[in-house]
Amino acid sequence: MAYLFLAPFLALFATFVLAPAAYGLWISVTDWSPFRDVQHFVGLRNYADLFTAGSPFHDDFWQSMGATGVFVLASVPFLVVVPLLVAVLLNQRIRGGTVFRTIFFAPYVLGVAVVGVVWGYVLDTQSGILNHLAHAVGIRADIPWTVDTPWVWVALVGVTLWWTSGLNTVIFLAGLKGINTELYEAAALDGAGAVRSFFAVTLPGLRPVMLFITTTTVLASANMFGQSYLLTKGGPGNATRTAIMYIADQGLSQNNMAPAAAMSYVLFAFLAVVSLINFRLQRERLEKGRVR
Amino acid sequence: MRKSVTRGMGAGLAVVVGLALAACSGSGSAKAPGGGAVTGNGGYNGPKVEITFWHGWTGGAAPTLVPQMIDKFNAAHPNIVVKAVPQEWGDIASKLPLAIKAGKGPDVAVLHGDDLATYAAQGLLLKADDIVHTLGYSASSFPPGVFDKGNYKGAQYAVPWSVTPLGLYVNKTVAAKGGVNDVPTDKASYEAALKSLKSAGVQGEWVDGYVFTGTFEFESLLWQFGGDLYNKDVSQATFNSPAGVQALTWMKSLIDNGYSPANVAQDGNIKALLAGQTAFNWNGVWQTTNSAFKGLDWTAAAVPQIGTQKAVWSSSTHWVFPANKGQDPNKTAAAATFVKWMNDNSAGWAQTGELPAANTVRNDPSLVATYPNLKAFIAELDYAHYETVSPGINEANALITTAINEALTGKATPQAALDEAKQKADQILQQNRSKYGA
Repeated sequence: MAYLFLAPFLALFATFVLAPAAYGLWISVTDWSPFRDVQHFVGLRNYADLFTAGSPFHDDFWQSMGATGVFVLASVPFLVVVPLLVAVLLNQRIRGGTVFRTIFFAPYVLGVAVVGVVWGYVLDTQSGILNHLAHAVGIRADIPWTVDTPWVWVALVGVTLWWTSGLNTVIFLAGLKGINTELYEAAALDGAGAVRSFFAVTLPGLRPVMLFITTTTVLASANMFGQSYLLTKGGPGNATRTAIMYIADQGLSQNNMAPAAAMSYVLFAFLAVVSLINFRLQRERLEKGRVR
Repeated sequence: MRKSVTRGMGAGLAVVVGLALAACSGSGSAKAPGGGAVTGNGGYNGPKVEITFWHGWTGGAAPTLVPQMIDKFNAAHPNIVVKAVPQEWGDIASKLPLAIKAGKGPDVAVLHGDDLATYAAQGLLLKADDIVHTLGYSASSFPPGVFDKGNYKGAQYAVPWSVTPLGLYVNKTVAAKGGVNDVPTDKASYEAALKSLKSAGVQGEWVDGYVFTGTFEFESLLWQFGGDLYNKDVSQATFNSPAGVQALTWMKSLIDNGYSPANVAQDGNIKALLAGQTAFNWNGVWQTTNSAFKGLDWTAAAVPQIGTQKAVWSSSTHWVFPANKGQDPNKTAAAATFVKWMNDNSAGWAQTGELPAANTVRNDPSLVATYPNLKAFIAELDYAHYETVSPGINEANALITTAINEALTGKATPQAALDEAKQKADQILQQNRSKYGA
């Protein structure tokens, strides 16, 4: 009976996720070319090429993986901590809380194209509002936000934070509502202040939510594409060209489908390992927390 | 990144349909059994057909202009109905190859010059030698060099429609601040103008490291210094030649000399020109229709000659006849009639900020009289350079922009940046040869 209810979803999942994924796996072990009718099985050659220095894709692929890594490391802490703090603030009984929640969530509904165009104006080196403000408060007036390192990273993380943190905030907020208020009362009776009860009650209470958020945020950051595609064009040089950007370029525009499929699976393997580690670490704490 | 996934191979098909077409239109006005024909003057006398036309003109004046032209054509041709399907260029790139292979593509389409060879190599286009011959077109019907862009491996696949060269836009109010009242035309006068603008506190030309427009400026300069992007059979990149290094070094020197700010973001330069912050901008003829110029005292001129010879970058668009599976020769014949009529009536196209390719139309004095801003651009066509004809060439071209970006942001010297791009471009050219069997 359960399968009957699951069937519609399973059908969609199989058609749009499983089947393409399997087809991609097949492509990655062939010399797939859109210009030939027959494709040949080449075993793991496409994968081996990715790990062989000097192959046409090796340098660029790992450079793009490095750029992805930088972005994940730089963005995830902010994308978790800032929404958490905002959610805690919104969880207080304040006037207009719903309004603020809506405002913080609003950017998330924008498409990346809109975000790119709007921030392109704001971050322009010479005529952007941001540099204008920076100049007004006495900082240099020509910070190359979208043109040169390290500023491009600051801009990309900042824009991503502005754009997507609303989602995490709302999820944290839902988690906060689920924490029993009696725990806070008990903590207050024991003499715990705001900070102490945050660490002793709020954070442990949010652990399941935290696991979900860190996992999805790491994955989302590792799949970053639109921001650097639109704002920095992958520049300077190829410094902000992420793995997804490089894979899309190789597969979709240069028709190197087979190596691109192999790269996708290497990226997938990396993300699977990272997610597993994350899961393992947080689950252990979760279980310990329950025993106590 | 604007090209897209294509599958399968439609070779042979093109040949078959091409032969059928040749049978229809080979001798000027001959009528094939059961088929229509294009007559020598571009008329069509076959059975009534409806033809579809794909184009990417979704912005500016085009969305009102194109339906007007098509209505006029349909009214004048009782046995042809043209149905236009406008869509974004990017959508055309991703849909057209698949549609043609499935026999659901249009009967006529417009493509950019740098895409023609990619389509032709995949057998997606009909060989149009006979159509071109019947319509009376030859290389001399168009600006020098444009017609050949539709020629791939000895066959003609396209009829030129428009050309879009780069030019020098001048904000005259800003230029006058630096005492610059004449538009500079060569290296000496251009650098002198930049220098006196600098002493008046104006950075005269803002150089950027993006396709729009740093890449176009670099390519113009490369040709001016006597270089070229690729060797003759497009097996090797040559943009790292001494000419290329000179070109990029000169662009970098504008920053080093303080004539340009560093780290100009994409489109920062045209914004600055419009905002009255800079005097010069190398930009495409399409900017003449930019409504933000209203109220400014501005002019457009030929790009100055910085190198040893006159040269300028230009793009082009072309008519093509897709080799749909089961293509009806009558429809292709009707499409040829449509193409000829459109080219003959393309004077109004100038209001979209593109130059009509047909010499008869463009050289008519009334065109410049109506659109005086186009005069300088039309004069440039004698020495303009167009796209490289080679399947998949855009992927190699993308590396040029990366090199310019690295050099202008100081990540590498012009020589080192171009050398690295050349090496990668050569790899891509080699991949393209095996990919497209070119």
